[in-house]
Amino acid sequence: MTERRQLALMLAPYLFGIAALVAIPAVVTFGLAFTQYDLLRSPEFVGLENFRELARDDIFATALKNSLVFAAIAVPLRLGAALGLALLLHRRYTGVGGYRSSAALPTVIPDIAYGLVWLWLFNPLYGPINLLLRWQGDSPTTTAWGVQPPQWLTHPNDARAAIIIMSLFTIGEGFVILLVTRQGLPSELYELAALEDATAWGIFRRITLPLMTPILLLLFARDTIFSLQWTFVPALVVTEGGPPQFSTTYVPLFVYRNAFEYLRYGYAASATLLMFVLTALIVWLQWRIVRRWRKGFAVG
Amino acid sequence: MSRIELQGVRKRFGATAALDGVDVEAKDGELLVVVGPSGCGKSTLLRCIAGLEAVDEGTIRIGDRDVTNVKPAARNVSMVFQSYALFPHLTVRENIAFGLVVREEPKAVVRERVAEASKLVGAEPFLDRRPYELSGGERQRVALARALVRRPEAYLLDEPLSNLDAGTRVEMRTEIRRLHREVGSTMVHVTHDQVEAMTIGDRVVVLDAGRVRQVGTPDEVYSRPTDLFVARFLGTPAINVLTPQEARAFFAIPEGTVLGVRPEQVRLDGDGVPSRVELVEVAGSDAYVFLDRGLVARVATDARPAEGAEVRARFDREAAHLFDEATGRRIQP
Repeated sequence: MTERRQLALMLAPYLFGIAALVAIPAVVTFGLAFTQYDLLRSPEFVGLENFRELARDDIFATALKNSLVFAAIAVPLRLGAALGLALLLHRRYTGVGGYRSSAALPTVIPDIAYGLVWLWLFNPLYGPINLLLRWQGDSPTTTAWGVQPPQWLTHPNDARAAIIIMSLFTIGEGFVILLVTRQGLPSELYELAALEDATAWGIFRRITLPLMTPILLLLFARDTIFSLQWTFVPALVVTEGGPPQFSTTYVPLFVYRNAFEYLRYGYAASATLLMFVLTALIVWLQWRIVRRWRKGFAVG
Repeated sequence: MSRIELQGVRKRFGATAALDGVDVEAKDGELLVVVGPSGCGKSTLLRCIAGLEAVDEGTIRIGDRDVTNVKPAARNVSMVFQSYALFPHLTVRENIAFGLVVREEPKAVVRERVAEASKLVGAEPFLDRRPYELSGGERQRVALARALVRRPEAYLLDEPLSNLDAGTRVEMRTEIRRLHREVGSTMVHVTHDQVEAMTIGDRVVVLDAGRVRQVGTPDEVYSRPTDLFVARFLGTPAINVLTPQEARAFFAIPEGTVLGVRPEQVRLDGDGVPSRVELVEVAGSDAYVFLDRGLVARVATDARPAEGAEVRARFDREAAHLFDEATGRRIQP
C-alpha cells in the first residue's frame, strides 16, 4: 500500500465524521435559512424573508445583544483566570497536581450536570452562595454589609452575572494550554531576570506576557467563538432564558426554541447562519486588530 | 576587589552529591576556567556562585562580602548561559539593555552603556535585529554584551561556546580572552572542552564527581597532573598509560605503579623499541599513530609512517609520569 493510500485510510474515519456531523448539516442549515420549514411540510423557498424578519425581531435583537455582552465580559475574564491559574500552578510543589485537577475538572463535567449544580448553588433562598453572603447579616435577608444579596435567578442583571460566573469555571482547556506554554518557557530567561533584580511584575510584563502572547491571542479568538455558543445549556437549565422576559436569552437558546419548540426550522437556520457570519467577522476583526501588535512579539 | 572564593561548598540533589566539599579561589581579575566531564558539577558550581542554587554547606565570598545567603541580584555578577538566554521578542539592543532597563537606569546611561558594550563585542552591525535573525556566534556576542553592560564585579560563563561550530568556537575563544584583558574583571568560565580550558584560562580547575582534582596554570595541569584522572582528561589523544609489564620494554617501573606518557613525547625515530603501526589517524597537521604495544604517538603528518610499517618507538624517562595504580595519585617526581 502506498504511503498516500495509508494516509487517506487513516484520515477517512475523521473526514467521514466531519462530513456527516459538521459539513453536511452546515450545508443543509445554509439551505434551510432561505426556506420556511416546519418538519411536516416540505421546505418552501422564501428568499431573504427570514433575514428581514430577524431584523425586525426584538427577541432576536435582545438575544444578540445578550450574546455579545456576555462574550465581551466573559472572554477577558476567562482568559485572565486561566492565565492566573497557569502562572500560580506551573511550578512543582506538594499538592500542585490536586490544584491543577481542580482547575481543569469543571470543564469535563457534562453540561447538564454542571448547570444543575449551579441551579442549586444560585438558589436565592437556600443556595450556599447566598447563605454565605447572608452569614452574619443584620437580618435574615441582608448581607453583613447591609445590602440584599444578589437575586441570581429572578433579577435580570443578577441572572446575567450568574451565567458569566458559571462560565469562569469551565476554563480547563485554556488553563491546560497556558500551563504547558508557561512550563515550556526557558528557565534561563527567568534566571537571568533574577540576576538582574527584575521584580515579579517586571518579569510578568517583560518576559512571561510577551512570550505567551501568541498563544493568548489564539485562545482569545478561540474563546470568543466558544463563548458565543457556550451559553445554551446554562440559559436553558439554570435561568430558562429569563427572568422576567428574555434577559438571559442568548442566540443559541433563541435558535433552539424557534427550531424545536416553535418548529420554525428555516427561521432558526437563518439565525444560525447570521451568528456564524457574525462570529467569523468578530474573529477576523480581532485578528486584524492584534496582528500589528502581535508582530511586536514575534519569536521567530 | 572582585575575588571569588568558595570554601567547603557542598551541594546535593537527592542522593547525588553535585559538589562535595569544593575549595576554589578565583583571584581578582583572573580568568579561571573550570573544566570536567559532563555531570562533574561544574555548572552547579557556577550556579551556586550566581545564587541560582543554594549551597547545603560551605561559604561563598565575592570581594570582601560573604554572599552565601545573598539573593542573586545582590551578588553583582553577570552570567552568560550556554543557550545564550536571549529574549526572542526583544531586539539585540533591547536584549543588551535589559539589565539596565529593569534597574531603571536613566535612558542616556542605557544608550551610552549599550553603545559601549556592543562596540566592545562587535555587535553594532546587528543592534536592531532580533535573535532569530542572528548566527550562533552573533548571539553569543549579544549575550556577552548583555553581561558586560552592567559592569558587574565578576562574570560567570556557563559553557558559552559549546553550541558553536568549530570555527566560530576558535574565534570566540580569542574574543573572550581579548574581552577579559580589556575589562580586567574576574571571570569564571565553565567548559567540558579541555582545549578551550587550556587556551583561555589563566588558571584551570579540574573537577570530577563534585571534587576538585587539581588547580593550576594550563601548563601545570598538563605537564604535572596530580593524578591519573587529570592526566587522562587533558590532552588529545589521551595520555598513554602502561602497566609495569607493558613499560618493561622501555623502562622498569615498580609493581603497583603505572607509567603515563603523552603521545607527543613518543618518538618514532632513532633506536627505540621495535613496534608495528596498526592504525594512523590524520588530524590536520598532526597524525595519531597507534602502535601494537598499546602506545599512541603524535607526530607531524608529513612524517607519519604507513599503516603496517615497522618502527622503533621511544620516549625520555623525564617525560614520563609515574602514578600509583591503586589511588591514581602522582608519585614524585
